[in-house]
Amino acid sequence: MLKGKVSLDVTNLDNFEYDMSKCIKCKGCYWVDHIYMSGVNFSTRCPSATRYLFDSYGAYGKMRIGMAVLEGRMEYSDELLKTLYACTLCGACDVGCKRNLDLEIELSLEALRIKAVKDGKGPMPEHKKVAKKIIGQHNRFGSPHENRNKWLTKDIKVAERADVLYFVGCSAAYTNPEIARATAKILNAAGTPFMLMPDEWCCGNMLYSVGMIDEARKLAGRNVEEIRKTGAKTLLLSCAEGYRTWKVDYPKMLNISTDDLGFKVVHLTELVDELIKKEALKLTKPVDLRLTYHDSCSLSRLSDPWTPWKGERGKWGMVSPGLERRRGSSGVYQPPRDILNAIPGVELVEMVRMKENAFCCGAGRGTQEAFPDFAAWAAEQRLFEARTVGAEAIVATCPWCKDNFIRVAKETGENMKVYDISELILASIEG
Amino acid sequence: MAISKEAYKVMEAIVGGEYISSDPVVCEGYRSGPGGYEAGLGYERVMTKIPGCVIMPLTTEEVQKIVRVCNRYKVPYVPYSTGWYGPRSHCHVEDELLIDLKRMDDFEIDEKHLYAVVGSGVIYSQLQEEAMKRGMYIIVGGGGSQCSAIANMIGDGWSPLSYRIGLPHRRILGTELVLPDGELVEMGSLALQDDPFWGDGLGPDLRGLLRGFTGHRGCMGIVTKMAIKLMPFQPEKLEPTGISPHTSLQLPVNRVKWINFTMPSKESMKKAMFEMARAEIGAGATKVPIFWRAIAKASCKEEYWDIWSKESEETIRDFHLLRVLLVGFGSEEQMEYEERVLNDIITEIGGEARRTRPSDESWFKNADSAGMWLMCGGYVSVDYVIETLEHALPHGENYAELKKKFTPPLMPDYGDPGWFQSFELGHQGYSEFLVYWDPDENTDGVDQFYLETSKENIRKRFYTSLLGPHQPLYLTGPAYGPNYHKWMLAIKDEFDPSFICHPPVPLAHDEFVEKAEWMRPMKDWDSPKLP
Amino acid sequence: MTVKTKLRDIVGPDNFSDNPEVLNKYSKDFSLVPTGVPNYVVKPKTVEEVQKVVQLANKNRLPVVPTSSLVHFNGAAIPKQGGVIVDLTRMNRILEIDEFNRRVRMEVGVTWEQAAKALAKKGFRLMMPLSPHPMRSVVIDHLEREVITNTVYDYGEPLQSMEVVWPTGEIFRTGSASVAGYPDSPSKGANPSGPGLDFYRLLQGAQGTMGIVTWANLKIEYLPTIDRVLFAPVEDLGYTIDFLHRILRLRVGQECLLLDNTDLAALAAENWPEDFEELRATLPPWTLILVLSAMARRPEEKLKYEENILKEVIKNEFSEIHLEQNLPGFPGMGRKLLPLLRQPWPRKTPYWKNRCLGGCQSIFFITRPAMAPQFVDIMEAIAAQYGYSVDDIGGYIQPIEHNRACQVQFDIFYDPTGEVDVELVRSLYRDAISALASEGALFTRPYGELADMVYESATGYATALRRVKKVFDPNNIMNPGTLCY
Repeated sequence: MLKGKVSLDVTNLDNFEYDMSKCIKCKGCYWVDHIYMSGVNFSTRCPSATRYLFDSYGAYGKMRIGMAVLEGRMEYSDELLKTLYACTLCGACDVGCKRNLDLEIELSLEALRIKAVKDGKGPMPEHKKVAKKIIGQHNRFGSPHENRNKWLTKDIKVAERADVLYFVGCSAAYTNPEIARATAKILNAAGTPFMLMPDEWCCGNMLYSVGMIDEARKLAGRNVEEIRKTGAKTLLLSCAEGYRTWKVDYPKMLNISTDDLGFKVVHLTELVDELIKKEALKLTKPVDLRLTYHDSCSLSRLSDPWTPWKGERGKWGMVSPGLERRRGSSGVYQPPRDILNAIPGVELVEMVRMKENAFCCGAGRGTQEAFPDFAAWAAEQRLFEARTVGAEAIVATCPWCKDNFIRVAKETGENMKVYDISELILASIEG
Repeated sequence: MAISKEAYKVMEAIVGGEYISSDPVVCEGYRSGPGGYEAGLGYERVMTKIPGCVIMPLTTEEVQKIVRVCNRYKVPYVPYSTGWYGPRSHCHVEDELLIDLKRMDDFEIDEKHLYAVVGSGVIYSQLQEEAMKRGMYIIVGGGGSQCSAIANMIGDGWSPLSYRIGLPHRRILGTELVLPDGELVEMGSLALQDDPFWGDGLGPDLRGLLRGFTGHRGCMGIVTKMAIKLMPFQPEKLEPTGISPHTSLQLPVNRVKWINFTMPSKESMKKAMFEMARAEIGAGATKVPIFWRAIAKASCKEEYWDIWSKESEETIRDFHLLRVLLVGFGSEEQMEYEERVLNDIITEIGGEARRTRPSDESWFKNADSAGMWLMCGGYVSVDYVIETLEHALPHGENYAELKKKFTPPLMPDYGDPGWFQSFELGHQGYSEFLVYWDPDENTDGVDQFYLETSKENIRKRFYTSLLGPHQPLYLTGPAYGPNYHKWMLAIKDEFDPSFICHPPVPLAHDEFVEKAEWMRPMKDWDSPKLP
Repeated sequence: MTVKTKLRDIVGPDNFSDNPEVLNKYSKDFSLVPTGVPNYVVKPKTVEEVQKVVQLANKNRLPVVPTSSLVHFNGAAIPKQGGVIVDLTRMNRILEIDEFNRRVRMEVGVTWEQAAKALAKKGFRLMMPLSPHPMRSVVIDHLEREVITNTVYDYGEPLQSMEVVWPTGEIFRTGSASVAGYPDSPSKGANPSGPGLDFYRLLQGAQGTMGIVTWANLKIEYLPTIDRVLFAPVEDLGYTIDFLHRILRLRVGQECLLLDNTDLAALAAENWPEDFEELRATLPPWTLILVLSAMARRPEEKLKYEENILKEVIKNEFSEIHLEQNLPGFPGMGRKLLPLLRQPWPRKTPYWKNRCLGGCQSIFFITRPAMAPQFVDIMEAIAAQYGYSVDDIGGYIQPIEHNRACQVQFDIFYDPTGEVDVELVRSLYRDAISALASEGALFTRPYGELADMVYESATGYATALRRVKKVFDPNNIMNPGTLCY
């Protein structure tokens, strides 16, 4: 809809006709912000366009393809599905575009996937397999649901009731228990009681990300209600993808604002940073590492809170009522850095592409499942970047990032240690 | 298949299967519009097509081979670096090959001899940063730092930083040009050596084929490599700061400083520019169009309109903001000297310094050019001319009058007489007119205005960027030179006898006028039947 | 009507000649290029006359050789295939001096002497090559890309828009002079480029083969308020060139050049030949000349900061450079040289290139500055092979635009009346250009026999050039036998 009633509802691609039709091909979605451009190396932040090169893989191409889909000029094909899904929805394009224009690139891409699913053409077969597992076993691995809390060790104190509820997530529960344990122990060490969900189910990140919005919304509704029942004031996550799903996609799907969830959604790094600054947590043991920090997309540029909006668009493309766009400005960029700088012995070196210019690890939003080679390639790019700045370790705030980096480092023989930030925080508490 | 199977197969063997495609999804990704430069205008709607095939070569040799294959199989083609320039750099005919040059991103820099060698895939912001790291700088053309450096150097290529440096034409050193028939011409020192450090021709200078005042938009061959002059800068870092969208370069104010001055009149701005040039100080001197100030203040489109709607013809008429850049190229002492001289000049003329942020969001790394679309969704610089300040000011006033007749559909700008600035230390002056419209409304008036501007320039004897492929060639041709079009077409015919390099450019705008019913009544000049 | 009659009718009988004595004057110049006799000489006064001559020549396939002055050093105006000399020296009006835009428009026949005087009256100067012959054409020297002594302006070449008569006879204006009715237009002709194509580039360095330029706009600069001429004796050329890389990037100085003892002596000597011999014998092997200048506003302050920059660089990085206001042992050298750098050579004195032995064959090319010493060595070695005294070969290194490149020039002085001398110099010249080119000397202005050497090595360029030439001059009437045509 170019003029008239419009909303940010991603279930209707028509809402993004204006955005898709106004892309000017400046490739702000592809290049690192020119202010931060570091030269001829590490100059792009769109993994899809950097990998596949054809314009169709950048947002500038996808917006045009999106218009064709909207106008019924484009038939579904393998190539179209690859164009839509060989993309981590990392948000670099969205933030890049909003440096100067305010086009809703990310939402357009989400809406295109939702439409593909609605039209019976998407998602990719690999996604459907995972979806089945999520719906069946409430985790994306298809592991037994009853094993979800097996990560817990005896030395971890879990409260019956607390203001903070730690949402562990599938990865930390099943494949990365070190993250769950570290997070729990950090909370214990900080004297912050926490509870767990009585029956934790997958957050449904994958379902929403690949466009299976009906299933995702059902899951979101259930999960939100379950949290509300616990009376938790704060939902804590150690997984960036989960963080984004709860903070942004749940309100989006439920047509409420982040504030209306009834609880705050907080990432471990936000909490730990606050605790350190309040001196409620002291990091005293040295961790002698020259490391670099990888900004996980979902914690950083994708994590501005959500407010639903509907209104009208009129002359010159102006909307009313006024709309405060999500531009990635309030992402969690600094707290993880402050935490790392507070750990004795740590030497933090920044990669060339950092904060809102970070190059996605390649794993998220269905990419790892359907395009593992692409995910591996993106991780390899990032590890190379880390090596170039002389880092011996790379730190992330998301198990998806961590796993992808470890997998690729192993395959390529890259001599780079990979950590989740929770592990380093714990190491500096416990030694 | 949109191009012949035989041609496709041969080309696939040249670049490898991964770098060629005629898939409809891939090709759709290369559609010109509807958004972009000249967004939603008639030219884009009537004249552009999506490619029939896209190919991405890596080397000059591959480009040559591809062009020869096109000549053999009569496949029309268009070179494409970033696609930024809008419809004029996209396919215009069916079953056309789009040669996407983004893989040609080789880069070398010779700090001692002040030049860099780039392929077509290197953009200005990359080049600027590599230069600045080494105490040098370039002019990032007004199109933005996302422009391919080569494409802009042969197309446009100026900004307020051209105050000292002037025309981009002089910054082109050794260059490779693949002619439309596939022959390679190496220009400058490359003609004799494997070293592109120098640009002058061997005798007559064939860089004359690369462009005119503005460029050929890809219809006269493909530039695959170019050495570009870098200029000495100063040693301190311009520190990038902020989180998107509020990113900017913090200036080391002891060596780099913008200063805004409120001036009593337009004439006084011209005088200030004259005196600065006479004193040989400064690194930039430009009038600031008032709506840019509104864009800079606004956090979104709606806020822009809130600010803008409070302006009027009076406020525009009384708004005279001069923005001056000082750079201590040689030393801090030099900077201080220039600032004292500048203040002497401004005081004499009756201007007043305003508080100016010690940052740059625009001209060094030119991160702001995309913001031109924020206001309305549609934008074009309808004319931009390097001539003299004495040309720039009346050109602007004349133009403002003409613009009123076409407002709406143009955005109301209360008679703003365009943007002007000083170039080449006062030897030249510059005027540019930016217009905006809502691309989702009837834009026929914008197309007509564009052509009317061209006619007005001819009537009033102004020089213009609207030459060559930018306006009907048979309209402007007889009026400038006279008959420059005859030579252009003769050169085109010599090097592209099959007319397959970006057809029908440079006659595309002629064709547009014939094809578009809202343009036809404006045709009051002679032209032969178009090929 | 014969061609002769028609030509005479076009320009008038007083401005036409086929008298052998007159023709002979155009058959040779100061270069070693062999003589070539024209069939006719015409001296038009207006562009319309030029046009008619060219149209007539085209119709009759008659070669046309334009010349804008009577002083030539490179052989470009010597007819190779006969034809008509179009002597443009009568087209010598300074058409306008535009003070606001610092522009002068002048016909091609305007000489350096004439232009410098007229401009100085208004407080302006032209960018100049090193001490040009006062009777040479300003426009043509810039069209032929003579390298200027000023290194500080980023915008480089002074040439702006022009009027040209194409070989096919059309009158055409380039750049922003192309607007209808120019100069009666808001356009002043300050933009050289376009319309459509960059015609001006095709005319540059063309040695009259692409058309006849009748007038041009040129940038002019203010005369500085104060100047300070600095000298440094040079023992180590490479070290000095490194110094120049450092300071010229800091935008210090106006004119900057390096002269060897022979060339500097030829320029600076007053009483001839005593002063010359003494200077040549006692000057350092090379001398760096750097002029600091300031315009009207706070001039002393400007000089001060430039001097401070120099002081710092010398103190911290180049302690071997001794840059002073006087050349030690040569008092008053600054006073002598500044006029030579700011004005053309004085007409009453034999031209500095001809003073030494009468003849001078210059070799000049573009190169990276660091390579200049190597080329000096090559030249000396070649001279030695021929038993030619290096004292009779002048050297001049001209940094260009912040020293991004330089022009190296060798001036081989010889006695043109001695047959042996001439042949020896011709051979020496040939061997030198070959040796220099094979080590990377870039001959961008291929005069005389340089053309064959250059174009045989740049076949791709030559092919393209011929194709362009074919478009503008399908009958190949413009100065045929020149360049690669």
